[in-house]
Amino acid sequence: MEHTKSKNYVVATDVGGTCTDAIVFAPGEPLYLGKALSTPPNFAEGVMNSIRSAADTMGLSFAELFARTSLFVHGSTVVDNTLLTRDGARTGLLTTEGFEDTLLITRGAYGRWGGLSEDGIKHPVATDRAAPLVPGDRIQGLPERVDYKGTVLRALDVEATEKAVRQLVEDKGVKALAVCFLWSFYNPSHEQAVRDVIERVAPGTYVSLSSDIAPVPGEYERTSTTVINAYAGNIAADYLNNLQELITAEGYSGPLLVMQGYGGLLPAKEAASRAVGLIECGPAAGVIGSRYLGQMMDDADVIAADMGGTTFKVGVIQGGEFDYAREPMVDRFHYVAPKIEVISIGSGGGSIVSLDPRTKVPSVGPRSAGARPGPICYGQGGEEPTLTDVMILVGYMNPENFLGGSITLDIERARSIFKEKIADPLGLGVEEAAIGIFRIAAAQITDLIHEITVERGLDPRDFVLHAFGGSCPLVCGIFGAELNVKRIVIPYTASVNCAFGLVSADIVHEYSVTKTLPVPSSAEEINAIYQPMLAAAKAQLADEGFNKSGTAFEWSIDLRYGRQVHEVTTPVRGETPVRDASLTALVDDFEALYERKFGKGSAYRAAGIEMTMFRLTARGLMKRPEIEKLALGGKDASAAKTGRRRIFVEAAGELVESDIYDFELLTPGNEIIGPAVIHTPITTIVLQDKQTGLLDEFRNMVIHFT
Amino acid sequence: MDPITFSIIRHRLYRVIDEAVITLKHVSGSAITNEGHDLMVSLYRADGSLLMGGVGFLHHLTSAAEACKSIIRRFEGRVNEGDVFLTNCPYTAALHTSDVYLVAPIHYDGKLVAWSACFVHVYDIGAMVPGGFSPDSRDIFTEGFSSPGLKLVDQGEMNHDIMDTILNMVRAPEMVALDLSSMIAANNVARERTAALVHKYGPEAVDQACQMLVDQSEESFRERLQELPDGRWESRQYFDIEEETYCVLLAMTKKDDTLHFDFTGSSEQSKYGINCAYWATWGGFFAPLFPLLCYDITWNDGVLRPISMTAPEGTIVNCTRPAPISLATVGAIQSVNNAACTCISKMLSASEKYAKEATAIWHGSHFAIFMFGQNQKGQEAIGIMTETFGGAGGGRSFADGVDVGGEIPNPIGRMANVETTENHFPVRYLFRRATGDSGGPGEYRGGTGLEYAIQQHDAPDGGIHYVISGKGTKFSMSEGLGGGYPGAPCNYRWIHNNEAAAAGKNVNPFAISTDQMTGEQQSVSWGVYPLMDQDVLYVRSDGGGGYGDPLARAPDKLARDVRQGNVSEGVARNVYGVVLDAAGEADVAASEAARAAIRATRLNQEAAE
Amino acid sequence: MSTRISASLVVNEKSEIACMSCGHTLGPSGKPWKDAARLSETPLEGAAGKPYSNAANALLRRFYCPGCATILDSETALAGDPFLNDVVHI
Repeated sequence: MEHTKSKNYVVATDVGGTCTDAIVFAPGEPLYLGKALSTPPNFAEGVMNSIRSAADTMGLSFAELFARTSLFVHGSTVVDNTLLTRDGARTGLLTTEGFEDTLLITRGAYGRWGGLSEDGIKHPVATDRAAPLVPGDRIQGLPERVDYKGTVLRALDVEATEKAVRQLVEDKGVKALAVCFLWSFYNPSHEQAVRDVIERVAPGTYVSLSSDIAPVPGEYERTSTTVINAYAGNIAADYLNNLQELITAEGYSGPLLVMQGYGGLLPAKEAASRAVGLIECGPAAGVIGSRYLGQMMDDADVIAADMGGTTFKVGVIQGGEFDYAREPMVDRFHYVAPKIEVISIGSGGGSIVSLDPRTKVPSVGPRSAGARPGPICYGQGGEEPTLTDVMILVGYMNPENFLGGSITLDIERARSIFKEKIADPLGLGVEEAAIGIFRIAAAQITDLIHEITVERGLDPRDFVLHAFGGSCPLVCGIFGAELNVKRIVIPYTASVNCAFGLVSADIVHEYSVTKTLPVPSSAEEINAIYQPMLAAAKAQLADEGFNKSGTAFEWSIDLRYGRQVHEVTTPVRGETPVRDASLTALVDDFEALYERKFGKGSAYRAAGIEMTMFRLTARGLMKRPEIEKLALGGKDASAAKTGRRRIFVEAAGELVESDIYDFELLTPGNEIIGPAVIHTPITTIVLQDKQTGLLDEFRNMVIHFT
Repeated sequence: MDPITFSIIRHRLYRVIDEAVITLKHVSGSAITNEGHDLMVSLYRADGSLLMGGVGFLHHLTSAAEACKSIIRRFEGRVNEGDVFLTNCPYTAALHTSDVYLVAPIHYDGKLVAWSACFVHVYDIGAMVPGGFSPDSRDIFTEGFSSPGLKLVDQGEMNHDIMDTILNMVRAPEMVALDLSSMIAANNVARERTAALVHKYGPEAVDQACQMLVDQSEESFRERLQELPDGRWESRQYFDIEEETYCVLLAMTKKDDTLHFDFTGSSEQSKYGINCAYWATWGGFFAPLFPLLCYDITWNDGVLRPISMTAPEGTIVNCTRPAPISLATVGAIQSVNNAACTCISKMLSASEKYAKEATAIWHGSHFAIFMFGQNQKGQEAIGIMTETFGGAGGGRSFADGVDVGGEIPNPIGRMANVETTENHFPVRYLFRRATGDSGGPGEYRGGTGLEYAIQQHDAPDGGIHYVISGKGTKFSMSEGLGGGYPGAPCNYRWIHNNEAAAAGKNVNPFAISTDQMTGEQQSVSWGVYPLMDQDVLYVRSDGGGGYGDPLARAPDKLARDVRQGNVSEGVARNVYGVVLDAAGEADVAASEAARAAIRATRLNQEAAE
Repeated sequence: MSTRISASLVVNEKSEIACMSCGHTLGPSGKPWKDAARLSETPLEGAAGKPYSNAANALLRRFYCPGCATILDSETALAGDPFLNDVVHI
């Protein structure tokens, strides 16, 4: 393959829990994909391995690749991982005197039941709060007080601050300090003064101020967020600096952009100071990738579903927009940072199938066999039946040709253990039981998607379903049909979806001001709030090398009804700065959004409406990858047919002999009529009855309902 | 019915309730609903028996079943698709007038297939005092609007006469209207989703699955009861209201696969509204029964079948009309709850297999303090101080009680942020934190409770008023288990800083403990009080009960407790027998000696008889 | 073979209620045992630190094993209240 010698490659790498993915793209060339195992805690090694794997498919050396790379984009679970393994810095907390326990008492039981399933919640005696990231003896209260208007009631005692800082850093060995005072988001001056003291008295200590990291109301969540940021701060910074050095050493001289949980990129320098922004950036990238693919295919409404080994995750894009998570948590900690809403259940390929010992009622997950020992059929010592074992028993997988033939699956062992543990106790034949379990898994997934669509006022029938991850394409034919989606797309980039999202993201800076204004307020007042945010945003983007035409600014405002609790973030349509007339449209949009989300008749207008937060999303527009369009050929797919096999067909309720295809032998334009199975190097696509699969010009498999 | 289809239908029924709860919280406006989670949504079979109880305030699951049944009786022949019924009469089924039940039939193809019911503690109900808790009411007639059953929505049409009448009788009617709207919306969601489920699987299949759900719960629960030894366990719960002391006495008997709760010997009914009617008592002991004995069983009528109750008429656990009742949910019902928790835990402790499910009492007092007045935005604000939902966990056989860890009957309650309360009410907190030494000592100590202090701030009227129905000051209601101490009692004080200032004393506006306050500290626990100018309201909530002998607690745990302020050095030494060295670590030798001395003192006691 | 009957007591081979920690016997199985224990009955006031205050006439009872002094059970009581008796049938 002739590679152009000019610098125009974009390299994207995404570090996940198990695998690190890489994508290299250049205009006019096909997408190059690479994969390697993740290498915690020194993730950078896995990153380089995944790039090497992509470079190999291109026939290029590292040096050659990097010499021609103009942009390096990255996402990583490094912060999630730090929290999970409790491997962060020795952190201290400075807060308002009298409120030292805020972080520890977590608004009562909230920290105890937060993140638990219904089973956990029904069993309180067996539950506990997670150990806090900062124990009580590293928390110091300082004399200061600000009120609900931002008025200083009691000036900060600087001397007491110095004493507290010394005590924490010198006596307790603290390396990172979080600072969170009551109402600081209205008046950050005290927190800023504390930072000055720390820089003077204990320079080199990592500092996080709540007024920088999360300037929003609610002191518990704000404190928790600031603590998380301080705890993981140096690790995130060291990681990104190290990565920067590695790629520079290989000959790369361009920028390093890092994905955030809200679906935008930040330059590494800034990302390094906002560890909290890295949380859940992988799933966010997945949703962004899905949005871009949808745009390419003219679909603005997409359900993005990702089913891997342990979990099934889903996010929704509506009109090109997505929702932010309410009350997000990472591990067992609450935090407030804008984060794309992705919900999940423990239903993945490795999810363990079990029967309730008393009632024999079956369930799938949430326990998982993981990668080791993994499913029984992997032959690595797995003794418990998993969903993957079920899928092989219903005929969806080819025992001889899994992962391109690199592993032979032990179907007999899976069958015999499944018979003993599941089928016989249920009094069913092996096939019948496997079909039943498969249906339960599909139903659980349907219910999950229902939660993020129908329960939010969205109708799945208006949406296209994107299926990602190793296991999703096997099941999507069933739950996609039950939800009655418009059609299903299994993207060519399904196995590296998050990396694909990285290359389709923009640089995004999020700004916000917390302030309560009644409706109506004058446009002048609102514009005055946005002025300083716009100025800061423009300066920031200019600094990052964007000229005016390469930037875009989106305003959105949180509104709520005067006597109700819930706010809805409402995008401001039309021109900005706003005019008085455009505010009517804002209120109409808010009311429509509110009713859509919370139900007809849920709005209570009589007490009036107020605006509570003003948000600015500032974009530095990035060039979108142009995916190579191949020529569309004929429909005849027979050249790709490799045989026939009995597979589970939902409409028939049993296994029916059907055609098996090899994806690599298909050409764009080929049509396959279901029921059928298509084996790809990294996954398997199952077409159900009344479903036709069409390989499009991007090599996506598009499933239509007939 | 095949187990696969059953598994799917069961999971979908859970989602119906979950979605209805989310709807209810989304539409409602109040902190008590959104933070305290003082709500419930459950599904009932066509005959009104409990099908699936959701995780709301657990006292209500069974009384809402009675509400359904009473509606069925009262409106026989007049129940139509799209109706919504209301009842809040405590002598019919509700726990007190503030907890309004909305009960709605679910039809499919013209036939009644199920009921949904929900409740919230409404913003106001037109009682003597804003918020619904009336310490001064002496009969039911001053406790606000009360109906034994009425049709609020008739085949989808709101009955405006009724709505207008209710709103005419309550304060802040727009907030009460919101409460009712949120419940109507929740019932609508339950109805739509259940009907969709029946449409997909057919009425016979769903009915069969529901029957299986109930039968399975009954079988599983009876099986568990058979595994536990037969026996009779006793509990005695005292609580204090003003000059009176009340007692809830419980003897719980387990024989084979049945469980009987006998409240004979409990106090005569009170002139204060802390009484429970029959259904409140019935619901009160299910609150610990469900999570302690049925944590892995669906909460429905099947669990009710092996249970029976004796509650003598005319007592505080079965008061007769027109006894006042507005404070039942912070009154006798808590003692019923606690007494049952103790007896059930003692029974669980008698089993090797189930001993780990036993617990000392969590936040036994569950008092309520409501604030009302003009807030800093000129609105009329009424609301509960949500700190009571902070709670305190009871010690368990394998771990401490969770500090400020909540309460058993309210599985997903939480308290509001300080900033949330300071934004809606004209108050400023001086401090809010866990209280050292409040957790009952034990091998596994009780969780600490909360303490806080507030004063008015920017109130247009110079301050606000609060209604306090506090108890648990003279008696600790968080009993210990297995020899553990009870948690520390509650304490409520009006600190008269205004008087101190008038007398020329210095008042510290930033006191971070009551020791730093110069005003006279008056104990308050019952009634309506002002909070004006510089006066402070101080509240100390109870701790959780401890488990086991404090002398058995590992010394290094005490070192950590002391370091983190949960136990004082004095208590560590005198009650736990652990001595710390200069570095704050446990001095093993000195502790052994201290414990030996304590044991010697114990054995010098008179024989018990 | 002893059988557990509470957090602190067992029934031994001779059908006697015994202390789980040291085996000291307290009477026959299936009958109240508290009379055989050592009793300490003191005001709840000040029982375990500052927060145990304003406790009026509430009493804290602790029943000790006469053998090893382990607390076998505790109760809150008013003066003169009968003991709470738990009976387990093995």
